[in-house]
Amino acid sequence: MAYKYSLEILALIAVLVFCGLFLYTSSIMGNAEFAGSDTVGSEKISELSGIPEDKITPVIPQWVPPSGEIESALFALQAAIGGIMVGLVFGYWIGQKKGTNNT
Amino acid sequence: MHIMEGFLPLHWAVFWWAIALPCLLYGIYRLKKVLDADREALPLLGVTGGFIFILSSLKLPSVTGSCSHPTGTGLSTICFGPWITSVVCAIVLLFQALFLAHGGLSVLGANIVSMGIVGPLAGYAVYRALRDTRVNMFLTVFLACAIADMFTYITTSLELALAYPAEVGGIGSSFVLFMGIFAITQVPLAIVEGVVLALVFKYIVQLKPDILLRMNVFPEEKINAVRSDS
Repeated sequence: MAYKYSLEILALIAVLVFCGLFLYTSSIMGNAEFAGSDTVGSEKISELSGIPEDKITPVIPQWVPPSGEIESALFALQAAIGGIMVGLVFGYWIGQKKGTNNT
Repeated sequence: MHIMEGFLPLHWAVFWWAIALPCLLYGIYRLKKVLDADREALPLLGVTGGFIFILSSLKLPSVTGSCSHPTGTGLSTICFGPWITSVVCAIVLLFQALFLAHGGLSVLGANIVSMGIVGPLAGYAVYRALRDTRVNMFLTVFLACAIADMFTYITTSLELALAYPAEVGGIGSSFVLFMGIFAITQVPLAIVEGVVLALVFKYIVQLKPDILLRMNVFPEEKINAVRSDS
């Protein structure tokens, strides 16, 4: 088929456009902080409810990562768990396919 | 899409838990049934669940100058349906609530409803509607994944709007307000997520078409058409 890799190319274009869009937004919005939308949402809640954000306390006590470094380490761990699962299964399937082709 | 711990009034937190719990129990029941019927479904669950782990850990910048997560729930929804997907989402969200302070235990119910139930249900509706039509299989996957992602954030906006109606305009105007924060940020992310997951689906079809056929994910002709030219 002529369009064997059309999906790959489309995905590449989508990612590139996405990156370009990011570079463009960050260049025209000099003050953009790129904070999480969760954080922005929480700010809006304290605006709407009239309760200052630091006065909103967890209902159930919660462990908070002491620093951004530790938080990003734990996020990386989450992605790694997913990556291992995906890699393991694709490898298993490739091996299975090879095995059946040889016999 | 995480509502932060403490940011939902207690009665709303309990309300969303009351919706999430029966769905989760049903999901666990379905999961057991699917795995008992076919052990080869487990690797497929590993791949589709793995992408929920990966994609929901990525905070990506968007056009609104803030960052947000993709959800990655679409693939699992197509292969296993929304209920099993909500079980995987609950595991991811529990991890994030316990170790990352993203969301929390009291708001976990609300977060499961948005990411694990309403989003996948919306994606599943798109998939069911297009599955037996002439629409291209990968376009169907793309649309289902992107819609599941978008509806997750629309639901978060609705959950917050219901809990915090604006003084002027009530629930409607605070829904618009939260949509401005969550949904607009999400549009480019949902598109990229859809394309990437469609590509992943292509590799699953090429490597392991028989499991997709056995689980009747797509009609045989559609899967075979992609198989033969690979």
